[in-house]
Amino acid sequence: MPARLEIALRPELFDAEGASIARKARDYFGYEIDEIRTVRVITMDARLSAGERQRLRADLFTNPVTEESSYQPLDLPADWVIWVGLLPGVKDAAGETAAEAIEDLLGRPLASGEACYTSKLYFVREGGSGLSGAEEERRLTRNDLARVARELLANDLIQRWQVWRVVPSATAREAESEAGIWDPSEGIGYVIPRVTLEHTPRVTEIPVGSDAEMLRVSAERDLFLDPRDVPAIRRYFSRRRVREARRRVGLDRPTDVELEYIAQARSDHCNHNTFRGRFDYVDRASGERLEIDSLFHTFIEEPTLEIARRKPWVISVLWDNAGVGRFDERHFYTITGETHNSPSNMEAYGGSITGIVGVYRDPLGTGKGSKLVLGTYGYCVGPRDYAGALRPRLHPRRLLDGVIEGVRDGGNKSGIPTPFGLVFQDESYLGKCLVYVTAVGIMPSEVAGGRSDRKRTSPGELVVMCGGRVGKDGIHGVTASSHIYSERIPAGHVQIGDPYTQKKMHDFLLVARDRGLIRFITDCGGGGLSSAVGESARFAGGVEVELDRIPLKYDGLDQWEIWISESQERMVVSVAPEQIQAFLALAAEHAVEATVIGRYTDSGYVHLTYEGQTCAYVSLDFFQSDFPQWRFAAEWVPPAARGLAEPVLSEPRDHAACLLAMLARPNIASKEWIARQYDHEVQGGSVVKPLAGARRDVPSDAAVVRPVLESTRGLAITQTLHPTYSRIDAYHMTAVTIDEAVRRLIAVGADPEHIGGVDNFCWPEITYHPERNPDGKLKAAQLVRSCLAMKRSCLAMGIPLLSGKDSMYIDGALAGAFGEQHRVSGLPTLQFTAISVVTDVTRCVTLDPKVAGHLLYILGVTRDELGGSEYYEMLGETGLHVPQADPRQLLPMYRALAAASEEGHVASAHAIGRGGLGVHLALLAMAGDLGLEVELWRAPCAAPPASRATATEAAGLREDRLLYAESAGRLLVTVPTERSSAFEARLTGHPLAALGVVCRDPRLVVRGRRGAPLLDLPISALRDAWQQRYGELI
Amino acid sequence: MTSASMPAGRRGVERDDLAPAPVERSERRSRSASTAQVRALVLGGYGLNCDAETAHVCRLAGADAQRVHINELIDGKQRLESFHILALIGGFAWADDHGAGVVLATKLRRHLGEALLRFIAAGRYVIGICNGFQALVNLGILPGFEVGRFRREVALTYNDCGNFRDQWVQLRVERTPCVFDPRARQIELPVRHAEGKFVAPPDVLTRLREQRQIVMRYARPTGEAAGGEFPWNPNGAQDDIAGICDPTGRIFGLMPHPEAYNHETNHPDWTRLRWQEDRQSAQEPPGVTLFRQAVSSAQERLLE
Repeated sequence: MPARLEIALRPELFDAEGASIARKARDYFGYEIDEIRTVRVITMDARLSAGERQRLRADLFTNPVTEESSYQPLDLPADWVIWVGLLPGVKDAAGETAAEAIEDLLGRPLASGEACYTSKLYFVREGGSGLSGAEEERRLTRNDLARVARELLANDLIQRWQVWRVVPSATAREAESEAGIWDPSEGIGYVIPRVTLEHTPRVTEIPVGSDAEMLRVSAERDLFLDPRDVPAIRRYFSRRRVREARRRVGLDRPTDVELEYIAQARSDHCNHNTFRGRFDYVDRASGERLEIDSLFHTFIEEPTLEIARRKPWVISVLWDNAGVGRFDERHFYTITGETHNSPSNMEAYGGSITGIVGVYRDPLGTGKGSKLVLGTYGYCVGPRDYAGALRPRLHPRRLLDGVIEGVRDGGNKSGIPTPFGLVFQDESYLGKCLVYVTAVGIMPSEVAGGRSDRKRTSPGELVVMCGGRVGKDGIHGVTASSHIYSERIPAGHVQIGDPYTQKKMHDFLLVARDRGLIRFITDCGGGGLSSAVGESARFAGGVEVELDRIPLKYDGLDQWEIWISESQERMVVSVAPEQIQAFLALAAEHAVEATVIGRYTDSGYVHLTYEGQTCAYVSLDFFQSDFPQWRFAAEWVPPAARGLAEPVLSEPRDHAACLLAMLARPNIASKEWIARQYDHEVQGGSVVKPLAGARRDVPSDAAVVRPVLESTRGLAITQTLHPTYSRIDAYHMTAVTIDEAVRRLIAVGADPEHIGGVDNFCWPEITYHPERNPDGKLKAAQLVRSCLAMKRSCLAMGIPLLSGKDSMYIDGALAGAFGEQHRVSGLPTLQFTAISVVTDVTRCVTLDPKVAGHLLYILGVTRDELGGSEYYEMLGETGLHVPQADPRQLLPMYRALAAASEEGHVASAHAIGRGGLGVHLALLAMAGDLGLEVELWRAPCAAPPASRATATEAAGLREDRLLYAESAGRLLVTVPTERSSAFEARLTGHPLAALGVVCRDPRLVVRGRRGAPLLDLPISALRDAWQQRYGELI
Repeated sequence: MTSASMPAGRRGVERDDLAPAPVERSERRSRSASTAQVRALVLGGYGLNCDAETAHVCRLAGADAQRVHINELIDGKQRLESFHILALIGGFAWADDHGAGVVLATKLRRHLGEALLRFIAAGRYVIGICNGFQALVNLGILPGFEVGRFRREVALTYNDCGNFRDQWVQLRVERTPCVFDPRARQIELPVRHAEGKFVAPPDVLTRLREQRQIVMRYARPTGEAAGGEFPWNPNGAQDDIAGICDPTGRIFGLMPHPEAYNHETNHPDWTRLRWQEDRQSAQEPPGVTLFRQAVSSAQERLLE
């Protein structure tokens, strides 16, 4: 008989979680709810004596000061009761720690199959409940409570829920005919979500007589095999030498293990077929043609290798799990960026926590392993207040909440600071949200007498799997993410990352590294063991794995499932046989599961067995063999030819109201509530925080941390994205995105000679299809243009791409008002991460003006570039003149500014980004809590290169354009008067103007050409406008 | 929240009745007398995560700090009694799944309960920061009314704001026997927690006040107690309590993180202060001073 313990806060204590749900129910649905009390439920499916149960209740699970608990149902006052529990097989981390704690307290292990499961009860009291008569009509219905359960509390992909109505007395209860009446003596009953698979593992041979037959199998098994790959796969298995070799190990036709393995390895997610594809690009206007053989080789690898040759700080790029740069004489840093879009789109919390915890394994699996020192985030979602007709699976508001919380728990519980992030809202992301997660690690440059960045496996070394166990979770994750979102995508790959298990493993592996016990390490990510072991085997030249030795969460997994499952929190390590005892003993001391699952060989094969029988035997050469390159037609039609034009708009009469409206825009407004949920101080090295300024509420240009506490050297990191410019031209979107990332780093005081990049492309599907993707060729051309711009910018600015990732299917099929389906494609989006070393953090600069009397300068030229801007978007326009950036001209200016900053002339510096000068002057004023007197007309300006404006027009750019143009290459800098001549001297030859002065009177005063103020606003009004939208959120 | 803007100087106001921290003395000791150096144990493992910076700050304070995994103590590879200061650090032990610090406390009580009682009885020092403070109250070591017994009398529960929150807070430092002394009446430190609301029955609160066990209170920038008002009091703690000690002052628990203020650049306003203040007056960060005072005290009381 299981035991069910229910734990509640004492009634006199405030239930913050319940209050937050009640508030959301009121704000989102208009339901009046007086109070919600939450109850934690632990169901112990284990044989426990009455005495043991009482010990667990009193000594472990109940705080005598704040909580009450019972093995009988708690009967709290309520009108409704909602229960939410996890579905079988979904990661229940709290259940696992409960079992661990029980075992420790009782001093004995639970028996096989015994476990704990956690769930939650919500006791809901309606607003005005207890009143009678006319008030009766205001009462909530069962459907309303179901909506609360479905849309606030549970996600039916991973959870189940139930609603009961509470009836005052037992007699009244009996009189009720409807189901779902709360019985306080029964409570929720005993729900045991144990996984029991009545299944004997079996290897199946797959008939591959014809391409059609194989494609049918692919469809049946959700392999998503590309039809172009099928002939190559069939050719391999029909080769005589292959067949003879297979016969020697007892195999004939391909097994399901092999085909599943191949499907994983060939997926776009793992193999980057799109970026390695061949592009036939044509510019419809000029007739210019380009043939590109692999975007990756042409635009990423080539420039990066070229730059690496002239930048000795570049240590390792393009092959390991993360890129490696030199931090100081004794340390390297490691960096990589990932996306986790598809899973987050279906289950926001689970998807994003799995994403952040997953990306943290990359630096841990880079070189011989690095310690994680920071993480960052970028979320692109539909409008938080979306009220349109399309029906995304999760409303953007809920999706954003879930994503924020997932990254919060993933980062905070890993003990890794999250000091930077971006959020961008646009309706195009209703189809699929984007969740970017970036991770930075640090490692000593030498470990156990060898270079830390070098590693290899060798024949005879043991394959060790560390961390979590293998279950059915995450099967077909990579193949599904290589596809657009629709209701048909199997949900089996929804996972919930477990930072606790991973943190233990992280700490253990770093000790093992320092003791010289690690020869090679890599993470189990997409594709699971198949990918981690398969790739590590290339160094040794082969591997043998005994699938039956792999620890499972529950019995009954087929061999192919064990091999490709993406169960989280696992690393694969190669350990020398003479060191295995030390390695396993250390793992046990750290309470980390580690298991020898095989041995590296030089056989040339990935050889898998199960209970002694071979179930897969695939040549390592196979994946290098003759798979056809993917081909894409890319057709560029320039924006003017697509009908884009500058809008016809006159200057607004009320500049003050216009600026306040801009500050309240979702993509401008303060998002302090998100940054504050993330621990950005842990590890003790915070230098420039995510929020800066007198009131510590304005977002910084970049984050700076001291990863080595004994040193005053720092790492600066920032990110940018400008997807709306892709509405016009992804070339300029890319150039401006990279430029802004560099500018942000320069603003905080980074070294312009040491800037590394991480490119994260999220693109809609680019394969043309006349009905399903009629603009596919344009999307493909945008991708080519984006890559062209990236290469040009990186070469000009000397930025090696230390790491990167492409996620190619940010499309969704959404139901509309009349049952029709809409294909919604996300804007082509590049998130660019830039990282740099700060030689002395005590010279760092934040964006806030510091002292009244300092001079305010603007650096850079403002042009008539409002295409895709926030201002045009607010006025319902797109425009044509998209901002452009010329990196060759800008870099010398940034070097000059960096030198001025190094010499101590700069009190504050800030890159002007989305929203233009107007918005960023306001941010500056708020950050300093000091007034700014600005002579707007002094700002250097010019016509855009493409515009036909005459010289006179250019010289006098209209004031609304000066305020809201988003021209690249601009910064706002404040300088003490006594240093102004030295500062100006440093920037000789660059576009620079003294724009105004910092003053004590807390007002933003902007004067136009005629001398009268265009706007004159107190800082409190700016702050009110900027904070009103999300100010209530915590 | 009041509309008054925050004052600039917040590096820590010197307490007028105290001399400046004896910096040179401890530094000399930490370099020379290795045989007589105060040893600090920084306990890690199972999801605890502030080990590196806590060990760092202990070293800055002159101690010989060692990071030790809980299981090394349980297995007897390391012995608690060979250390003078035990630091229970921040983090998410056992993911905080069943109440912050609860499982950690259970583990410590079961496997190291006797050793902990002996450690305390020997007059050694214990600091619990954030998750470590939660563990100390769940163990019943704090408030420590009854010597030689574990008794849970207070709790740290879910923040009233309903979420994890990272912010720097103003702290009023009360006059107490606490050996972890930042030597200032008001300091600033970061809090980073979801369960930091201090809760106790009225009689316990009274006793804490009377026995001068309330070491730090959340305060307004002006120095008066926060009066429960968010965000000055970030979690709704009763009586604005941020940290308490035992009656002897040798055991200290607090929600804010002193180890996260180990360098001048940790402070949120350091780039502002640089332009507004005379840079010559740079003081030791209070996070370091607090540990330095404990190390000095341990040196005198436990080593000499």
